Amino acid sequence: MLNIQAVTKRYGTLTALEGVSLQVETGEFFGLLGPNGAGKSTLMSLVAGLRPADAGTLTLDGAELRSAAGRLALGLVPQHIALYQELSAEQNLRIFGQLYGLRGAVLRERVDEALAAVQLADRRKDPVKNFSGGMQRRLNLVAALLHRPKLLLCDEPTVGVDPQSRNAIFEYLERLNRGGLTIIYSTHYMEEATRLCSRIGVIDHGRILAEGTLDELLTRLPFEEEIRFAAGAPTETLTAALAGQGNLETVDGVHRFQPRADYRLSSFYTLTESLGLPARLFTSQRPTLEALFLHLTGRTIRE
Amino acid sequence: MHILLTLLGKDFANLRRNRGALVLTFVVPMVIIYIVGLVFGLGRSDNGPSGIPFAVVNQSDNPAAQKLVAALQAEKSFRVITTCANPDKTTRALSEADLRPMIRDRKFSYALVIPPDVVSDERLGLHLKFLSDPRNDIESQMVNGLLQKTIFSNVPQLLGQALQARAKKFLGSPKLSQFNHGIASTVAQAFGGDPAVIERDMQQGNFGLDALGSGSAATGGKGEPAGGDIFSKLVKIDAEQVVGKDVKSPAATRIVGGYAVMFLLFALSNASAAFFDEKNSGVFQRVLSTPVTRAQLLWSRFLYGVLFGLGQLMALFFAGHLLYGVDVFGHLGNLILVCASVAAACTGFGMLLSAVTRSPDAARSLATLLVITMSACGGAWFPISLMPDFMQHIAHFTIVYWAIEGFGAVLWAGNSLVQLLPILGVLLGTTAVVMTIAIWRFNRSAIFE
Repeated sequence: MLNIQAVTKRYGTLTALEGVSLQVETGEFFGLLGPNGAGKSTLMSLVAGLRPADAGTLTLDGAELRSAAGRLALGLVPQHIALYQELSAEQNLRIFGQLYGLRGAVLRERVDEALAAVQLADRRKDPVKNFSGGMQRRLNLVAALLHRPKLLLCDEPTVGVDPQSRNAIFEYLERLNRGGLTIIYSTHYMEEATRLCSRIGVIDHGRILAEGTLDELLTRLPFEEEIRFAAGAPTETLTAALAGQGNLETVDGVHRFQPRADYRLSSFYTLTESLGLPARLFTSQRPTLEALFLHLTGRTIRE
Repeated sequence: MHILLTLLGKDFANLRRNRGALVLTFVVPMVIIYIVGLVFGLGRSDNGPSGIPFAVVNQSDNPAAQKLVAALQAEKSFRVITTCANPDKTTRALSEADLRPMIRDRKFSYALVIPPDVVSDERLGLHLKFLSDPRNDIESQMVNGLLQKTIFSNVPQLLGQALQARAKKFLGSPKLSQFNHGIASTVAQAFGGDPAVIERDMQQGNFGLDALGSGSAATGGKGEPAGGDIFSKLVKIDAEQVVGKDVKSPAATRIVGGYAVMFLLFALSNASAAFFDEKNSGVFQRVLSTPVTRAQLLWSRFLYGVLFGLGQLMALFFAGHLLYGVDVFGHLGNLILVCASVAAACTGFGMLLSAVTRSPDAARSLATLLVITMSACGGAWFPISLMPDFMQHIAHFTIVYWAIEGFGAVLWAGNSLVQLLPILGVLLGTTAVVMTIAIWRFNRSAIFE
């Protein structure tokens, strides 16, 4: 569906994207995961046709994305609340619907559907500025769906949203995706990418570092489990004993032990038992995207 | 104390980083002080008005009338015009018949005719004709005052001649000669001098009235000569208002346009600065992700500005009509045309500001600076003839000047559409140039990034 080939974008001397290639298939929920400044928003803006690439091509079902047909096929949920604050929810939706070419009864019907979908039908006449942050986010999202696009671009749509509203947005997006809508979702929250996305691209410094399903990505890690325990006096002897058995890193005062592939977890617990360390000090978990990002870049996604 | 200093330091650091606030705090007041100072003669070697176009037609062969023309030419406040161009580009002396059409065509606003009977035995004093288009009230008062001053200062001989002619009519030539001879002898005996010379001076009208002239240099605050009543008795001026005599509310008609365009410029500059607010809120990006093009976005903004400006200007003129009786309905069609053209030029100006600045604060600060400067230089506050020559030249490059010209042409002079075309051409030409630059800049500026 979406084909991005060797795309490069520069701002003066800054290279925001370099040789980015991606394919997103129909019905996918594709996550674009990376820290702030990684190039996510730039890539989203190129896909949305807001600016041209310096090199490379972007096509949607074979059509140029910057063409009118390309624009009609996609909806953009910007990072900010991109709504006219003084106007009512209904007026905002009518304006964006009209910009997408909707008129008359169809427009009225779509606006009604959209307002109902995000539980704002009873507030349709209220100015957007009077809405809570979560309500504005929901309206921000639904404004991109009026024309029923084939591809929805969500550029960090939950920034600054309370957990309850975030959950509502997730559920709505999942419902849309189940209904066949292809979604590209950029975020720097690994939990969001993990929960929502069927496939994820990890981006940093304008390059795609890895791409695949969550399972595919995690197989890139040289370990299958990660054991975490607090750094400090009680576990000092353990850290010494683990030398050579795998990778041991300390992040925010927490040791992360990623054992070698041939290291048995039972060996670890035998060792802790012999050292008199209670099992409650340790948590074993499946590797996360955070570990993957650390593995790929040598730093955490928050740095 | 430390906390106080920290908070104080924070405020100054904020101010230092806020260029817009710095411009509004320091630059704008300085510009206003400079312009107003120039208007009131501060720092100028040539304080007072300068270069007011003033046509003079001398139909008299009296040498003193020639002297009056020379005196008017020497007056730096006037740019005396005595000739006009023929269709074949040659020049000829102006005639009285030329004056009225040329005043209507805004070639000049004031003209003096020195008729053959400038000195006559039919009346006491001089007879002059003064034609005017008092579109600008302050300028008109100044011209009247300057004209009186020039007559008193430079040609009292004409007054003396007028007295001699009048006396000759009532006494007869022999008796007047006898009278002059007796007076000359008495003066010579009492104060000394050659009685023959004194008598000749009297016959030529030279009664020593020059002393009046030296005193009359001090004019009243409103341009009236110190001896206004004496002047009106000694000089009979047939005043004819060539343009605007049917205007119902002259004062309001003069001032509404200038202030209206100034506030329109402020409003549109603010509206254009809102471009940045839309960009920062992401609305721009959302709109541009739809099938809307940049050109559509910019032109819709332009059209909005034109309609908004037209609405604001017409509302202000209607207010002028309701409050002061400005005749709006008598010229409605042409007024709408001029207002639309002014609104287009002002919108283009506002959009150019958005295109060349990088933030709403910068746009608003620059707008304030330019709008105030343009309003002051363009004649919204004072007649431009009160300003130094270089500022009068600058005025012609301001939208405010052409807007005021347009409003005056419609409401004051009642010009036809054809007569308005040059002004409309300047305003719409300005719009085209400014919008071209603005669109070119927009496509290279950060606003679409």
